[in-house]
Amino acid sequence: MITEIVGDVIRPILGGLSLTARRLRRDKATVMYPEEKRELPPRTRWRHVLARYENGLEKCIGCSLCAGACPARCIYVEAAENTDEERYSPGERYAKRYEINMIRCIFCGFCQEACPTGAIVLRKDFELANYHRDDFIYTKEMLLEPLAIAGEQ
Amino acid sequence: MGSAAEQKLVKITVNGTEVEVPEGELIVESVKRLGLEIPIFCYHPRMKPVGMCRMCLVEVGFKQADGSVRMMPKPQAGCTLPASENLVVVTDSESIHRDRKGVLEFLLANHPLDCPICDRGGECPLQNNTIFYGPSTSRFIEVKRHLPKAVPLSEYVTLDLERCIQCGRCVRFTEEISGDSQLAFRFRGAEMQPSTFELTDFTSKFSGNVIEVCPVGALTSSKYRFRSRPWDLETKASICTECGNGCNVWLDYRSGKLVRINGRTNELVNEEWTCDRGKFGQEYIDSPERLDRVLLRKADALHESSWPEAMDAIAARFVESGDSSAMLVGPRATNEDLYLAREIVTKTFGSRNLDHRWTKNLPNNPEATAVHSRIADFETARAILIFGNDLSDEQPILYLRVRKAWSQFNVPVVVISDRATSADAFAEAVVRYAPGEEVEILTSLSGMVRGGGGSEDLKRASEILRGGFLLAASSSVFNSASGEATAVALRDLCASAGTPDGYNLFALGANEQGARDLGILPTEGGKDTKRILEACASGEVKSLWLLHCDPFSLYHDRGLVERALENVEFLVVQDILATEATLFASAVLPSCSHAEYEGTYTNIERRVQRVPRILPPKGSARPPWQVFCDLRLAATGAMPFFGPSEVMEAIAKEHSQFAGVSYSGLAGEGCVLASADSALASAGIEGGGG
Ligand code: SF4
Ligand code: SF4
Ligand code: SF4
Ligand code: FES
Repeated sequence: MITEIVGDVIRPILGGLSLTARRLRRDKATVMYPEEKRELPPRTRWRHVLARYENGLEKCIGCSLCAGACPARCIYVEAAENTDEERYSPGERYAKRYEINMIRCIFCGFCQEACPTGAIVLRKDFELANYHRDDFIYTKEMLLEPLAIAGEQ
Repeated sequence: MGSAAEQKLVKITVNGTEVEVPEGELIVESVKRLGLEIPIFCYHPRMKPVGMCRMCLVEVGFKQADGSVRMMPKPQAGCTLPASENLVVVTDSESIHRDRKGVLEFLLANHPLDCPICDRGGECPLQNNTIFYGPSTSRFIEVKRHLPKAVPLSEYVTLDLERCIQCGRCVRFTEEISGDSQLAFRFRGAEMQPSTFELTDFTSKFSGNVIEVCPVGALTSSKYRFRSRPWDLETKASICTECGNGCNVWLDYRSGKLVRINGRTNELVNEEWTCDRGKFGQEYIDSPERLDRVLLRKADALHESSWPEAMDAIAARFVESGDSSAMLVGPRATNEDLYLAREIVTKTFGSRNLDHRWTKNLPNNPEATAVHSRIADFETARAILIFGNDLSDEQPILYLRVRKAWSQFNVPVVVISDRATSADAFAEAVVRYAPGEEVEILTSLSGMVRGGGGSEDLKRASEILRGGFLLAASSSVFNSASGEATAVALRDLCASAGTPDGYNLFALGANEQGARDLGILPTEGGKDTKRILEACASGEVKSLWLLHCDPFSLYHDRGLVERALENVEFLVVQDILATEATLFASAVLPSCSHAEYEGTYTNIERRVQRVPRILPPKGSARPPWQVFCDLRLAATGAMPFFGPSEVMEAIAKEHSQFAGVSYSGLAGEGCVLASADSALASAGIEGGGG
């Protein structure tokens, strides 16, 4: 009777615990998000950024090719003409308004692919949750790379 | 046109398929009969072929008597090659594809390839041909040529010299179509550039067309510059409401704003052309002067009000005034607006005072404003007489048609005017008169046409007109001192040449012809424009309604207008823009621009055409016909109409000329109204049969 209890109950428990004990010595797979964040793979496609050239000028020329390529039709571009007094990008044309509706975006990256100047890029910031629908309309100001860090990436 | 049937047919072979085509037809056109297409740049179906770009190369051979085919050693330009018996054409061989690649490679070597910022990008023949026929990569590693970009040629047209492929379409347009020869090529060979003479401004009434004619983005619109890309645009087929010609256009809009107007092909009206007034003159829709709120005058100042409140106040005043109320109508109202305007004035208010005319003289005889010819008839006319003001100002696209009649069909043109006009350049005979002498001149001309003698400078004109002609005159003849007598003299001249049906006194405003047909005129014993204004000034007319009109800008006598608007007790101004008249208003009703409500307009040749709604109304603006429905409902409880198509049904029932016109039948080219007499006749037959 007692041998049966040892063989059928205690042994398997000890066997299982010893597996746990062996695994405890290995590195942990989970991270303490949000305090800790994992490095994402290089081809991750998350939040869009409108990039700048090293001299600070915007890369976007307001051509709307991204809007044309977008399968979710969630990009709105309004262009205007650069003048010598007010220059935003090299050349004749820049985007006066640039908006992405993040709720509709499916993060396919087609916009990035269509862009002739590499202006719109999808980077790794994935924390996009918000409380109000309106806050998901990302404006040009929100998307533009801050001037200071331009050129670092 | 009639000669096409008698034209000799020849057998040609295209890619192995035999097809019969008229002798001399250009091969680019012939292949379309088989559903094929030859890529082109410089060829334009409405201009003479020049063979400048070599995009249209085809292999050509001739069938020999023994059935074999002798091919020519080199490819030929399909746009300059006329069809002849036994011609063999190959458009799809390997060598032709190689040739096309080569031509495109040369063109692209000198092209900046800045498609992303080019306004033509997305609808560019150069892009399209490159995608279909061109090389997929570039071998060009040298430095690109650089030339001035974004050179303003005029207020409307911007030239980018880097993008020009030197096809000459723009130059040929100004030479062959508009006739002002404003553009020409400077320099030769690879340096060739289109330009104005001595780099002056590109001043033409038709400059906007070169933007559409240019097969690349070299000529672009300064007004549309960078405002949208083609794939961001929505578009609807509509018509232009700047003059009475009713040119067919595409209204391109984006996010609730009209951004561009392009010509829409309607061979019977405007072919594919637009004038600058129509193409660039639509800014009023977004003007800050737009009326967008209902205003009522309370204690000497206009205060914001609401539609129901204003409707009640207006209905009470006008119904009470009865026959001492009046309505004046401007040129820009739809047939539906006009029909209901007449209904409420004559039935709801019980007034006889209604008019749409603003000329100095107001003709009483309806025959004075008769129109017999269609626009396309001018091409086949025996001769054309242009009388009065400059036709290119009043009816620019009709002017192009007259010019085409002269340049392509050798129709002789006579100009009788009191000033220098654009048509003088190609007229066979030009007769000038001093203002006030028109009746005299026309009478002596009639005499000479009948065979009598007369002065030397009328001799040539009378020789041309004898035997029949079509008249192009407009209601502006009533602005001259002699007024209706001029119209009588013109009718007499038409009759003496044996073509009383050549008499046309075209309407000027967008829907002036509609107002003529729908009887926006004083009814039996009522007052016309002049007498309405006088009666307002004297206090005899107590309530006046102004529908889409500013008497200050339309009527010649400012003093009378001012007295009238000051003295009339109750003035309703229903308009699109704030005008001088608004300052005098007791009630201001904001109205929709033509892009903001559906309706129909009748053009100078009495073609009824439909205009869709593309934009939301500004503020609380409402279409006039709806306002009239509400007013009727408030005053008499009459059933309102649920849409403009229902109003048209009512019009068709009531006006015999409109018999058979319905919204579903108006798609496409529109529909020409029956003439008053033939409408009566057909109505009679229908009545008898049914
Ligand atoms: S990622 Fe895809 S869906 Fe999102 S904006 Fe770009 S193209 Fe549109
Ligand atoms: S992001 Fe790129 S594709 Fe989009 S408008 Fe700007 S330049 Fe054009
Ligand atoms: S500007 Fe345009 S239409 Fe004129 S020659 Fe150049 S490419 Fe042709
Ligand atoms: S289209 Fe024939 S040469 Fe240009």
